[in-house]
Amino acid sequence: MKSLERNSFEEQTRLVPRYVAGDLSRSERAEFEAWLVSSPELAFEVEMERRLRRGIASAARRGWIKRQAPVDRSRERRWQFAIAASAVLSVGIVMSLAIPNGESTVAPGKRLFAAAGEQRMASTRTVRLGSVRGSGGMPDVSVSLTDAPGELVIEPDVVVLTCADGAIELECAGGSAPQTPQYAEYEMDLVKRHGATLSWRSSRQAPVGRTQLSFTLRNPASYDAGDYDLIVRGHSPDNSEVVARFWLRVSAQ
Amino acid sequence: MSALSAEEIEQIVAAALTGDRAAESRMLAALRPGVLAVLRFGAFHRWIDQEDLTQETLHIVVERVRARTIDDPRKVFAFAAATARNLALNAARKMLRQQTVVDSDLVDELAQNLEMEQSDLPDSDDRHLAQAVSELLEELPTERDRQMLIRFYLDGIDKQQLCRDLGLSPKHFDRVLMRARSRLRTIIERRAPHLALFPRVVSILVPVAMSFTFWVRHFGSW
Repeated sequence: MKSLERNSFEEQTRLVPRYVAGDLSRSERAEFEAWLVSSPELAFEVEMERRLRRGIASAARRGWIKRQAPVDRSRERRWQFAIAASAVLSVGIVMSLAIPNGESTVAPGKRLFAAAGEQRMASTRTVRLGSVRGSGGMPDVSVSLTDAPGELVIEPDVVVLTCADGAIELECAGGSAPQTPQYAEYEMDLVKRHGATLSWRSSRQAPVGRTQLSFTLRNPASYDAGDYDLIVRGHSPDNSEVVARFWLRVSAQ
Repeated sequence: MSALSAEEIEQIVAAALTGDRAAESRMLAALRPGVLAVLRFGAFHRWIDQEDLTQETLHIVVERVRARTIDDPRKVFAFAAATARNLALNAARKMLRQQTVVDSDLVDELAQNLEMEQSDLPDSDDRHLAQAVSELLEELPTERDRQMLIRFYLDGIDKQQLCRDLGLSPKHFDRVLMRARSRLRTIIERRAPHLALFPRVVSILVPVAMSFTFWVRHFGSW
């Protein structure tokens, strides 16, 4: 535990949202909890954080929160790009209709292939999950049994990069940024909360491009309706640890 | 809320470590809110009796302090936090094993990682809380701060992303969250004081009652 200075207290206060969300590492959590014991002030912060999360989720459920479309500059840029692409596509279509073509009809086989491809696209749903989980009371992923995709691809952003010696630092020796995934392999479990039963376990995989993981849950409609934990576990030769947990809800409707 | 700062609590613990029994009693009262917070919010609260484990934790802490095996007050804080977590983990493991879960790894993972919402909040309290938060959101000075809170807590957008999207500095982000928590506390204490963890009046009574209970239970007299 660092010295009991005001600066350190403020550092710990900044960790309150991550502590309540369960996103601190073990060492961070141990230090934070030592602070928590020494400071009733911090305990109040934690309590209010919890209340704030729950209150916002509850107010949203009751329809009391007015949402405004966020001003997202990247989205604006995407819109501009989409408009430009649409214009180019429209010109292309008009030109293809206007210019006579001896083979203007698509061969039946090709059409069938395209349709199958679209079907495959439609039956796969990809979900990207940030390392910071959604607010309490709201599942991170929801799947309806009546409209379930054939495959649910889950891409959790949970790989922590470390220095070559395994240290978790912002900056490694020599000033370089951390480059090594904390664990060599990762796997995902689907655990049904009611009864705490393991419903599915993925094969282990190494992160692609250092940080990208992708787990494919086939036929999610075959699972019972209910709440599940998606537990991501990291494995190294001498250690394994749960690195993230998300909430999946399979609903009947 | 206790008026004691972390520095004052450190001094009290330092005095307790020298064998000062009066300081020991004050130490127990001062550590209690934090130990309770670890047990309430350290992902175990559905599985354990927090009050019982708080007592047990403090009992172990006071024994260790008397044994003089810890010489630094800051180590007492760390020891108390680790003791609370270990006791909670053991209690949660025991509870889960009684539910005939056979995969021992899974038991450990669930015990360490399950963070469930309290289910014992009545609907009227849940409504009070929702009203308090709605009031808080309406009071915020700018729409940007409002959207920041909603997107952070409701959509789970992370801090860095939000700062980028809304053009905020990380310091401003932290300030808005701290003010929001502080303001929420004021609103809750006005609208539904029983929802605050330690309302101001109770915060005076609880340490006194707790010290009394502890002394009578463990030493036979006040």
